[in-house]
Amino acid sequence: MASLPGLNLAAASAEPANLTSTSTETRQQDLAANTEYRFEVSFSRTLTIRLRTGTAEFFGTELGPSTTYSFKGTKGAIYTWHGCSLEIGGEAESEYVAEETTMMSYANAHFALEDLRDKAMQSNEAGPRVLVVGPDNSGKTSLVRILTSYALKMERQPVVVNLDPREGMLSVPGSLTASAFSGILDVEEGWGSSPISGPSPIPVKMPLGYHYGLGNPEEGKLYKPLVTRMALAVLSRLEEDKASKHTGFIIDTPGSISHGKGGVYENIDHIVSEFSGTCGVCFVGKLLTISVNIIFVLGSERLYSDLSRKYGHRSEDPISVVRLDKSGGCVDRDEAYMKHFRQNQIHNYFFGTDAENTLAPYSLVADIGDLTIFRLAESSAVDPSFRPGDDDDDVYAASKNIYEKVNPSSAMQNSLLAVTTASPKDPQEVIRDASVQGYIYLIEVDETKKKVRVLVPQPGQLPPNALVLGSFPEVVPDLLN
Amino acid sequence: MSNASAEVAADFRDALQDLKINSRPEISNLTIIAKENTEHAQAISHELENHIRTTRPEWKLPALYVLDSIVKNVGTPYTVFLGRNLYRTFMDAYMVMDPANRRAMDGLLKTWKQPVPESMDTNPVFSPEVTRDIENALIKIRTVTVQQQAMAQRTPHGLPPRPASNPMASGAWRNTPTPPQGGPRHAAPNDPRVRHNFPTPNNYGQLPVATPPSQVPTPQPPVTSIDLESLKADLAKLIASTRGAWEATPTDLALAQKLKALMDLQTVLNTQTIPPQQLQAIRTQIQALSPPPPPVQTYVPPIATTPQPFIPSPQQAAPPSLPPASGGFNLAQLLAQARPPVAQTPTPTQPTLSLADLLRRVSSPGQMSSTPVAAAPFPPPPHFPPVPQPVATPTPAPAPTLTPTTNLAQLLAQMTKSGSAPPPQVPQLPQLPTQPPAGSSAPGATDWLLNALKGVPQMATTGVLPQSTPTASTPMTRQASGMTAVPNSVELTTASMKQPRFHLIARLYGAKPNICATCGRRFENSAEGKEKKARHMDWHFRVKDPDATKRGIHRSWYISEKEWIEYREVDESAPDTANSAKAAAVTLKKDPKEQYVHVPADAARDAPCPICLEKFDSNLKWHTDANDFVWMDAVNVNGKVYHATCWDEYSKGAGIPAPSTPDPVLGKRKADIGTPVSGKKVRAY
Repeated sequence: MASLPGLNLAAASAEPANLTSTSTETRQQDLAANTEYRFEVSFSRTLTIRLRTGTAEFFGTELGPSTTYSFKGTKGAIYTWHGCSLEIGGEAESEYVAEETTMMSYANAHFALEDLRDKAMQSNEAGPRVLVVGPDNSGKTSLVRILTSYALKMERQPVVVNLDPREGMLSVPGSLTASAFSGILDVEEGWGSSPISGPSPIPVKMPLGYHYGLGNPEEGKLYKPLVTRMALAVLSRLEEDKASKHTGFIIDTPGSISHGKGGVYENIDHIVSEFSGTCGVCFVGKLLTISVNIIFVLGSERLYSDLSRKYGHRSEDPISVVRLDKSGGCVDRDEAYMKHFRQNQIHNYFFGTDAENTLAPYSLVADIGDLTIFRLAESSAVDPSFRPGDDDDDVYAASKNIYEKVNPSSAMQNSLLAVTTASPKDPQEVIRDASVQGYIYLIEVDETKKKVRVLVPQPGQLPPNALVLGSFPEVVPDLLN
Repeated sequence: MSNASAEVAADFRDALQDLKINSRPEISNLTIIAKENTEHAQAISHELENHIRTTRPEWKLPALYVLDSIVKNVGTPYTVFLGRNLYRTFMDAYMVMDPANRRAMDGLLKTWKQPVPESMDTNPVFSPEVTRDIENALIKIRTVTVQQQAMAQRTPHGLPPRPASNPMASGAWRNTPTPPQGGPRHAAPNDPRVRHNFPTPNNYGQLPVATPPSQVPTPQPPVTSIDLESLKADLAKLIASTRGAWEATPTDLALAQKLKALMDLQTVLNTQTIPPQQLQAIRTQIQALSPPPPPVQTYVPPIATTPQPFIPSPQQAAPPSLPPASGGFNLAQLLAQARPPVAQTPTPTQPTLSLADLLRRVSSPGQMSSTPVAAAPFPPPPHFPPVPQPVATPTPAPAPTLTPTTNLAQLLAQMTKSGSAPPPQVPQLPQLPTQPPAGSSAPGATDWLLNALKGVPQMATTGVLPQSTPTASTPMTRQASGMTAVPNSVELTTASMKQPRFHLIARLYGAKPNICATCGRRFENSAEGKEKKARHMDWHFRVKDPDATKRGIHRSWYISEKEWIEYREVDESAPDTANSAKAAAVTLKKDPKEQYVHVPADAARDAPCPICLEKFDSNLKWHTDANDFVWMDAVNVNGKVYHATCWDEYSKGAGIPAPSTPDPVLGKRKADIGTPVSGKKVRAY
């Protein structure tokens, strides 16, 4: 670590070592069949769990019998279908065994999807296209993970689309990503890891990312065009990739789009209409015939009723709207936790997740002029005149001032910049629609010397691409400490 | 679970095979295996019994010492499993032993009647019922033997190590009408067990931590808490074995029903107070359902106190095993009676209070005191809504045969009065054969249970297990869902999501019993599945790179939209050839420097490029897209790896795209090719 150019990371590496050495004694936790052990671990502690006997799963991913898993900053549950005995070490903020779970209904949901996948295989059509909606903290991401894990157990290859900018999937918060999954999910790291330059103990996932740069999809006018773009990419992939096509996709959404305004769910409508590009032509030039055909509504009765009224009885392309109970294990995650969670995700992007697989980012010193930063225009942050997605052409045409070009300033220190695949000379729509190549972190801006120091994930020249600065996620002042 | 059991059992069996002398470390080792795998106690017990029965007579004693060590050091659940067959296990071995070993066995038996030494538990190792029958039999044998020898009768009996054929031995035998108490070398006090070294595994949670291991269910007062506990334990085991069978046959809906019924029973037992008589009946039923069919006379608790006429008396079932002590006693005859007692045991279930009836009584609150236990560990019995079931047409029963008591198929058949069937040859099977009672459903929990338990068992008569149909080529789960599409399909509605369908869970677990211990990924138990797992494990090994952090691993940039659309996930368990072929196909168009092949897994890794004869070591690189170590600037042509640049030049120069075999070109150097240079260590990644 000390050999890292320009970085003094000795403190960072010493910290996890202290934490892991604190807990050596373990206790045994027996679980009856169909119960789950729910726990919350803070970011400063580590909880280790090992499966002694029986079978157990963490959000659908089975625990390996000979592996000790450690959790940090996690609120989760170990569920068992057959009963098990766990060996638990470390300290949890709260832990209890729950006998009433919603796993049976989630498993039913999975098997219902499996039936459709079998049919899709036989007829070589697209498998089930699932949209998961529900209020905040209703377990949407957990359900998506369970459905994904179960699909993987069946040797499927689902494409998971994360449209929730508050939590990154295989990326940092503020991004919208999609990835096809195969093999298994990681138990400890949630969705796993995007590619790194070395071997990974869990197969890496290959995400496609766009940068949204705001926390709430209801604000700004970037969300819908990005959803449109994402839908095009995913649908194109499905057209090309047979394994993913037969499995279908699962879309995770932010809770905020499920609140609705007077029973109108603008963004849900947009997602449904964009992920059903019946009339669009995808990148590979084929006519798209894939659309969302299942909506799982978690918890909210009202949302379920509104959506089933709207989509359930359409004469063409009917959508199955199914309500699933919210798990009793869903806990409210306060803003402090979410902030910590976000900073953790950013840290993990640069430094990796655990002590054994530390990543080595590089710090570069560059001229201020080397960075072309596009900041989301303030005026576009709240734009009441923005209209729903039925007139997309307007959206594309009317977006002259999506970004404003800014020079690095000391006010931007500690913020995250998205490295797009677009050139700084491209029109702003192209920059907006460009996928993200990665993220860099502004360590220091010296305005007098006209120099910036940035943290980049991999060595080499800083890409001369357009950089996008959003207001979300917030600055991470202590990334290097 | 069944396969895990099978694996553990196989290990245990292998270890047992090597046990030929009374070796303390080996016995301790086996005890530890048994102790650490109490969840597979049934399979292990079965393996042990089997071994004692089948091994050569001179190796039986060490195996019996293993049994002894396990029951004393581990206790439950082994005492329960082994106790059930102990009579037969012990007596079969005793019959073929020579006198010295018999004395050792006498000593062993004596210790079983006592509490475990140095333990606080005052219960004997095995319950008195178990040991008493053995003792009675031994006394009879001795009496007969003494009588025979006193009359100088030589009764040939065809058992090779018969002591009577050995004058010395019979002399010794005659001199010890009562077994020596601890004199022999192998007697219990000197036996190779370290009792206090093993902490008590508290497997069933009903014992305080300090309680010594040998908790034997004492059935003496018909209803005591310990009785209930042992009943629960039995039930738990039955559930476990049924679940094992069911996991092996995930498509077997009927078995799933039976499992559910048993689990309901467990819930009832756990949550409600049940009168003694019903407990007895349940116990009888469970024992009847429990595999494998043993001569359980001694295990069935005495029921003299219960007025219920329908409960079979164990004594009635027992008598044939003890011949009259009159002269002309034939050991072989005794053996014959002792060995297959199943066939002669009268059926205990005169269509009486069936399990389902019981359950119905229990769950109808008016009929009995169904006070929920305060700290019930389980929720009240769940109500199972009627699930649409396939109505299987029962195949006509073959010729009725004598019905052994412990065969589930028979029991169920009797309940339905649909005829009986010969038992499948169970003794070799570690668990219940999966008789699928494909019952039709009826509304209501108890009716459902009733139906689940009384289904049509005729399939069992063929002895063919339903799970013997999976094919190796297609994933079992998919095939399964195809075969049983109608009953297993889950309607996509809100109401349908709430119906419990536990039988489907097997598609996530049992369908792929071969689990990777590291990451939990599961594979099928087919040849293909094993290959996949092997490749998967290879991959685990490859990515475990201790030097990874030193080499400064970093996050890579994400790929672009277009690349992502064209990207295909790489499954580490997929065949390598497909990978490299695909990789080669993709990279062929690129600059030769960018071409790569996956590093071969075998000795071929040391083979140099056939053209320039340089090795590929310097080209080694971690390739992100391939998620594997690769050789850059390499190309695989007809199974041989060349430097891509060499091959490029060669094929250009030769003016031919690709010769059918490159060997003629390189003929003279062939000796060098593919021969690993001696002394050079093959690097493992």
